[in-house]
Amino acid sequence: MIAYEIGAVEAGYRGTNVLEGISVRIHADDFLGVIGPNGAGKSTLLKLLTGNLRPSAGTIAFRGRALAAYTERELARELAVVHQHIENVLPFTVEEFVTMGRFPHRRPWEIAREDDHAAVAAAIESVGIAGLARRPLTELSGGELQLARIALALAQDCGVILLDEPTSFLDIAHAVRIMDALHGMHRRGKTIITVLHDINTAADYCTRIVGIGGGRIAFDGPPAAVLTYENLEALYGTTCIVYDNAVTKKPHVFTVPEYARRG
Amino acid sequence: MKRSLAVIGIIAALAAVFALCISLGATFIPPHTALAALIGGGDSTERLIIATLRVPRMLMAFAVGAALSVSGLLYQALFRNPLADPYTIGTAGGAALGATVAICLSLGAGAVTAAAFAGSLAAVIAVNALAARRGFSSVSLIVAGIALSFILSSAVMLVFSVARPQLVHKALMWLMGDLSIARYALLPPLGALVALLIAGAMVFHRRLDILSFGPAFARALGVSPAAVKNIFWLSALLAALAVTLAGVIGFVGLIVPHIMRRSLGPAHRLLIPASALGGGCLLALCDALGRSILPLSEVPAGVMTGFFGGMFFLVLFATRGDAR
Repeated sequence: MIAYEIGAVEAGYRGTNVLEGISVRIHADDFLGVIGPNGAGKSTLLKLLTGNLRPSAGTIAFRGRALAAYTERELARELAVVHQHIENVLPFTVEEFVTMGRFPHRRPWEIAREDDHAAVAAAIESVGIAGLARRPLTELSGGELQLARIALALAQDCGVILLDEPTSFLDIAHAVRIMDALHGMHRRGKTIITVLHDINTAADYCTRIVGIGGGRIAFDGPPAAVLTYENLEALYGTTCIVYDNAVTKKPHVFTVPEYARRG
Repeated sequence: MKRSLAVIGIIAALAAVFALCISLGATFIPPHTALAALIGGGDSTERLIIATLRVPRMLMAFAVGAALSVSGLLYQALFRNPLADPYTIGTAGGAALGATVAICLSLGAGAVTAAAFAGSLAAVIAVNALAARRGFSSVSLIVAGIALSFILSSAVMLVFSVARPQLVHKALMWLMGDLSIARYALLPPLGALVALLIAGAMVFHRRLDILSFGPAFARALGVSPAAVKNIFWLSALLAALAVTLAGVIGFVGLIVPHIMRRSLGPAHRLLIPASALGGGCLLALCDALGRSILPLSEVPAGVMTGFFGGMFFLVLFATRGDAR
């Protein structure tokens, strides 16, 4: 099954194109990482995939149907989105917050039913924050809040989950917990599409990596095939060395400071 | 158990407010006498005062207070701004200009009411149209509303500067939010409309919870932009009705939702009914006190809400620390 079919898409703001000639097919079994330098068009691509931005040219089909043809509610039943930031954090408990993920599956005014509670409890359990279920969001750390947001996306029970830099600003332990949770969701059959800042995180977890530079797709393939120093130096414009992670055997990227380059 | 206790508590509090409101006034009628008069006992003067003056006025104050509080609550959620109130988007400015013009032209009470309602709706329509050009974002609504409010209040001042002093005083009383000039004939239909609009707001309780986290979050959960517009209009109509019934009464729509959120948490399923009851009680009590606090004249309800509401708020602020 195909999650997204993107054909010759151009998109941007106020007449200026940020993305040009993007064609990519995202399969349902992909764990896709989108990487690239700042300003390359990663966020614009994500906005296209969530339907928040309409392409100026080209087509986007989501699960076999034009993305633009979905109503907000229909889309929310099949696509969960975890934005980079949450605009406002309110003292709802983790449980109440995650229950909001059930909203697209109920009539808008209905309160949660028994099976909603089961789905919510399972989602909270699976990201390992059952102990925080009754804690208000305002009392959580940044990493715990991010886990609660992942649990909400899980409770939303969609086939496809889109994330924008889910591990930025988190310590390594929380970053690993987030990525492990996504890995578990992928193994249970979800399509995961995430923008990632950290190339090494992308290499360890993603089955496929798309590099975006200058509004175009620079490379696209499994980590071992595309994360070469030639590709990365061309994409980011800085010197890199690539070794394999001793444990995961996935490519790992090291940058080279200028003082060492001269030596 | 906890829930039934809460219900009993709420009913008891409402009964106490009711008894107090029909007792207070130019002459104090003790609650037991007042209640007896209500069901046909006591002397005929007391029966007349209670049934034709105090009860309708209390109901009027209650409807206006409930409408203002729920309107403020909806805007605070929609704009994600605890300082938003029913008048943020220009409802009061439009109503004030409409009423001031009608009063200064010596038009009748019916025309004043109609002009106030038309003015507030025109202001909301204008803000709606201006904000729609910028994607109906909360910032665009607030900026358009505040700018329009300034323009409208300048227009009111302009009318004042050319109108006769007696008429200006009459218009000023209206602007202060005076329930003594309230139009009781309008109470049954408009009170019912307020109840209907608040019930309508309840339909959106989950969407309001979700919208409090921001528009991108809400969209990802399938809350459509149409829901935002519907909530905007529910709130605008509640504010317009309140202003039309009783003039510009400040502060109720700001502090009642605030207090409720502090004490009950962020869930709108509770906040909507609690704000309606709390706002209704607060305004009814403020009005009853305003009627009885000075021996020979009435203090407008808007002055009372500003004074006591502000005091209560400061006490809460000073004693509760920085809890959100």
